[in-house]
Amino acid sequence: MTDGKTRLAGIAERAMPALVIAGVLLAWELFVRLRGIAPIYLPPPSTIAVYLFRMITDGSIAFNLGVTLLRIFAGFAVAAVTGVTLGVLMGMSRIIARIADPWIAALYPLPKIALIPLLVIWLGTGEVYKIVISAITAFFPIVISTYAGIRQTDQGLVKAARDLGANRRQIQMKIVIPAAIPSIFAGLHLGMGVTVILVVAAEMIGSSSQSGMGFLLIQSGQVMETEKVFASLFVLAVVGALIIKLQEWVDRKVAPWTVYRQEN
Amino acid sequence: MDVIVEAVTQVWPGRRGSSVVALDRFSHRFASRRFSCLLGPSGCGKSTLIQIVGGLETASSGTVQIVDPSRPSIVRPPGADSVMVWQNLNLFPWRSVLDNVAFGLEMQGVSKAERHTHAKVLIMSVGLGGFEGHLPGQLSGGMRQRVALARALIMERPVMLMDEPFGALDAQTKIVMQEELLRVFDQTQKTIIFVTHAIEEAILLGDEVIVMTARPGRIKEILTVDLPRPRSLEMVNSKTFGTLFDRAFHLIREEVMTSMAQQTTALEAR
Repeated sequence: MTDGKTRLAGIAERAMPALVIAGVLLAWELFVRLRGIAPIYLPPPSTIAVYLFRMITDGSIAFNLGVTLLRIFAGFAVAAVTGVTLGVLMGMSRIIARIADPWIAALYPLPKIALIPLLVIWLGTGEVYKIVISAITAFFPIVISTYAGIRQTDQGLVKAARDLGANRRQIQMKIVIPAAIPSIFAGLHLGMGVTVILVVAAEMIGSSSQSGMGFLLIQSGQVMETEKVFASLFVLAVVGALIIKLQEWVDRKVAPWTVYRQEN
Repeated sequence: MDVIVEAVTQVWPGRRGSSVVALDRFSHRFASRRFSCLLGPSGCGKSTLIQIVGGLETASSGTVQIVDPSRPSIVRPPGADSVMVWQNLNLFPWRSVLDNVAFGLEMQGVSKAERHTHAKVLIMSVGLGGFEGHLPGQLSGGMRQRVALARALIMERPVMLMDEPFGALDAQTKIVMQEELLRVFDQTQKTIIFVTHAIEEAILLGDEVIVMTARPGRIKEILTVDLPRPRSLEMVNSKTFGTLFDRAFHLIREEVMTSMAQQTTALEAR
């Protein structure tokens, strides 16, 4: 009796988020239809779904999303490699940290979108520009988190390794870098987030390539195809969530120990 | 190996140019094959002392030297003579049990096959067979403690330094680990310096109990424990144990009071 009740409560709890989403969509649909709001302002979810379906079947989503994802991963890869490398070097060499620190301190707070005019002058509006702007933006959180992770290594672990006969180099390779991995991953998550933002923004501003989700958004907006705008936003939201899930999965694969809490 | 500690003093720089004397001219000869327990209130510098002995801290003044009792003329500074078992274990969370235990050998450049074979033997000996592939975070407190013990034992160093290793364990696990350590001590005959603030533990394990004063840490009194070996938990009920406990309790009580008074003064001075 009680068992059945708790099980029902469990199902209800798990179904709740989906029910709320369905409820909101239904309210949205009814509100738009009953008040007769023009689709140019707010199209009903059912129409958005129809447009989304059409955009999927005519291949425009696949093409533009594919292009955007390629740019995101290219920019992210550049930022990850350079950011982690510099962060590790800064953590290990005081001189490098001293030299790099004022540059990072000065450039990190600068809104990277403000660099777009300059980058367009230097690089034009092609692929390089979009990859560079997203890589620059993602670089900072990655380098800062990596550096912090290296510097915040548990000194107890370092002492223990030294006691067990590790030399300086072994301590850096076998203790300091692995110990910084959770922090490096946190930086990569932040970096991925801003890469997505910057690639889409760069596709919207001054892009000559006429492709990508940002382009699709701005183009649909300009011709007042609000349904397509919503459909594109929906796709971006879903893809963003998937990217986060993918990163979490990679984290668990590469660094399974971060899953277990250490309570020594 | 005997460890000769001579007039070791440790002074920490404090705020506004003041300084704190953590250890004040501590001298003692930790003899080979003897289990020495350092007992004292928290902050008395006992952890600092074993870190100095282990070469992990540098003393402000004083010396630590090593001598082989069979060749008493050769006195030398410590090299790789000791290994530490830490209060918070300091296991490497990203390494499996096997690779934690094999860490010391890996640093020496021992081949993977060889160090794994060796580590497996030690893992079996501390009763963790079958857990080689587990990560420390997947183990219970007592099991992690065994990993830490195996990781130290694999070094085969004559001196073992233990900094309140069982402090964080629950009462039952602690008893099991104490028996485990006694077994290791009886089999390997190492020089053990064991830091604790538990009186019962110090008497049950040690051949001698060095009672330390509150800060600055000095030797207050050395109690010799003449309980027979192998030790067992039942000895807690013996008359010898009772007498030693009362004596140690009396000494420690004084020091804890002093220590608390110091802390109160320090807080008031702030």
